[in-house]
Amino acid sequence: MKRLLIANRGEIALRIVRAAHALGIESVLAASAADKDSLAAREADRTVVLGPAKASLSYLDPKLVVHAAKATGCDALHPGYGFLSERTALVTLCEDNGIAFVGPTATSMDQVGGKIAARELAAGAGVPLVPGSGALASADEALAFAETVGFPVVTKASAGGGGRGMVVAHSAAELREGFERASHEAKEAFGDGTLFLERFVQTARHIEVQVMGDGNGKVLHFGERDCSAQRRYQKMVEEAPGAILPDAVRARLHESAVRLLSSIKYRNAGTVEFLYDVERQAFYFIEVNARIQVEHPVSEQICGVDLIQMQLRVAGGEPLALEQQDIQRRGHAIEVRVIAEDPERNFAPSPGRITRWVPPVGDGVRLDSAMFEGAMVPPFYDSMIAKLIVSGSDRATTVTRLQRALDAFVIDGIATNLRLLRHIAAHPDFIENRISTRWLEQTLLPSFARG
Amino acid sequence: MNKKPTAQDLESLMDMFEKSDWKELDLRMEGFELYLSKDPSRRRGGSTPPPRLRGEGAGEGPAPISAPSATSASASAVPAHWIAVKAPNLGTFYRAPKPGAAPYVQIGQVVTPETEVCLIEVMKLFTSVRAGVAGTVRQIAVQDAEMVEHDQVLMYIEPA
Repeated sequence: MKRLLIANRGEIALRIVRAAHALGIESVLAASAADKDSLAAREADRTVVLGPAKASLSYLDPKLVVHAAKATGCDALHPGYGFLSERTALVTLCEDNGIAFVGPTATSMDQVGGKIAARELAAGAGVPLVPGSGALASADEALAFAETVGFPVVTKASAGGGGRGMVVAHSAAELREGFERASHEAKEAFGDGTLFLERFVQTARHIEVQVMGDGNGKVLHFGERDCSAQRRYQKMVEEAPGAILPDAVRARLHESAVRLLSSIKYRNAGTVEFLYDVERQAFYFIEVNARIQVEHPVSEQICGVDLIQMQLRVAGGEPLALEQQDIQRRGHAIEVRVIAEDPERNFAPSPGRITRWVPPVGDGVRLDSAMFEGAMVPPFYDSMIAKLIVSGSDRATTVTRLQRALDAFVIDGIATNLRLLRHIAAHPDFIENRISTRWLEQTLLPSFARG
Repeated sequence: MNKKPTAQDLESLMDMFEKSDWKELDLRMEGFELYLSKDPSRRRGGSTPPPRLRGEGAGEGPAPISAPSATSASASAVPAHWIAVKAPNLGTFYRAPKPGAAPYVQIGQVVTPETEVCLIEVMKLFTSVRAGVAGTVRQIAVQDAEMVEHDQVLMYIEPA
C-alpha cells in the first residue's frame, strides 16, 4: 500500500491520516466543500474536493469517491465509519478497479449486512439468539413455550412492530391474561392477530466484541466493550472491559464472536454486538458491524494496539502478526462522545464557530478530535465533535479520571452535551456500574432535567 | 517575543472593521501582517497570499487548503466581469464528446446559457456542463482529460 484515499471527515479522517503516515503511506483526503479547511485536510498529503457540502453529492456517492481514488493514484481506500463504510456497492467498485478496500470483502459484507442473513449465520455458527417461538395458535401453546424458556417472556405480533401486540408476562397467569389482549391489539393494528413469543430481557446491557480477521480464517478478538449508556439507540458512553460480565461468560462471548466471523473467513475490523441479560447471565446475538467503530479506542487502550494501523496492514495483504495469547487486556478505559447538541433544548443540533477550546490533559487522557479554537462545526453532518477517552488501572480510578477530565474540558461558542456527560459520570448508578440500556433515558435524563 | 493574534482576535478585528466606516486597515506586527480593504480592486503587492488565520501553537488554527485551488490561482488573471464556469463535482474534464471529435467550444465562440461547453466524467458516467450565461468563451482553464475538483474553474465567459 503506497497511497490511501480517505473517504470520510472529522476525527476519524484525521485519525486515519495519522495512522497512514505512521506506516509511511501517503494520504489523500476526499472531502466535501464544507470540510476543505479541516484539520484532516491540513495534515493529509493532498486534499481533493469531491462535491458540495451535501453528503449525497459528496461523501455518499461511491462513484465519486472511487473516481477520486483512481484520479489521484491511490491503491487503497479507507471508508472510516458511517457514510459508505458498509455499502457493498463501494466495496465492489473498489474490487473492480484494483483498489484495496480497507474492510471486508463484498461477499462478507453481504453475509453480515442484512439482519436476517446475519441471524442465520449466527445460528449456523452456534451463536445464541434471543429464544423465540414460531407462530402461536393459542394461549396454551404460548404457555408451553414459556415453560421451556422461562419467564419473563414478551408477545410480539407476526404482522408488525412498533409496540403493538407486545405484552410482557412474568408468570403463567399474566401470560394467559395478556395473550388475548395482545392478540386483539395486533388484530386491530395489523388486521392479523397472530403472535409469537420471545424471552424478555428485563435488564439488558449492550456488549460487543472487537475482532480483526486476516481474510484467511484467522480471527483475533480484542475483548469486549459495554455500550449500554444509549439515547435513542445512539451510544453516548462506551467502556472496556464490560465489568459486569462473569469471567466464564466473558470467555464464551469472545469465543462466539470469533467463531461467527471465522466461519466466513472475515477480513479486517469488525464488531459482533450482543444483548446481555444481566439476570440470566446470558448473551444473545444482535448484529455484526462490518467496519471500524466510533468506540474502537477503548479497546486500543486496554490492549495496547492501534486498530487503524492494523486495518491498513491487513488491507495491504500483510498477515496478522499477533496471536491471541499476545493480546493482553490491562486496566480499564471509558470513552464519552462529545456532541454539538443541546441536551437542555431537546438535543437540538448546535453547529457554529468554536470560540474557546480547552481540552483536558493528563495521565490516561486521550482526545480523538479534529476540532480546535476557531474551527467551524458545519450543520450538514453528524454532530460528534470529540471522543474523550480516559484509562486507568481499574474502573474506579478511570471513573475518577473521567470526572476530572470532563470538569476541565471547556468548549465555548456552541452548545454541547458536556454538562450532561458530567452528570452521567457523577451519577451513583454509573459509578457503581448498575445501568442498563434503558437507564440513560429512564433514569439519567429525568434526573438531569431536574438539575 | 510578540504574541501572535489568535483566530479569535482576527475574527473580532475583521468584524469591527466591517462595521466601521474605515476603508482600509493595515496592521503590521513582528512576524505578522494583515491588510483589510473594502475596495475590491485594491490589492496589496499582487502576489501576497490571502490572509491566513493562525493559532499560537503548531497544531492549532484553521488551515488553508492544501491542494492548489484553480479558483484562487487564476482569479486575479482575468478581467473582473468575466464569469467562471465551475465544476459541479470532482471528475475528469473533457472538452469534446469523444476522443478525436471537435471540442464543444473554442475560444472566441459565442454561447447561450444552454450551450454545452464540456463534459465531466465520474466512473464512465458523463455529465455535460452548460455555459449558464450568454457571452463569448474567453479562456479554458483546464487541460483536456485532467482531474478537476468541485467548484474548480473550468473556463471563463465574457458576458454579452
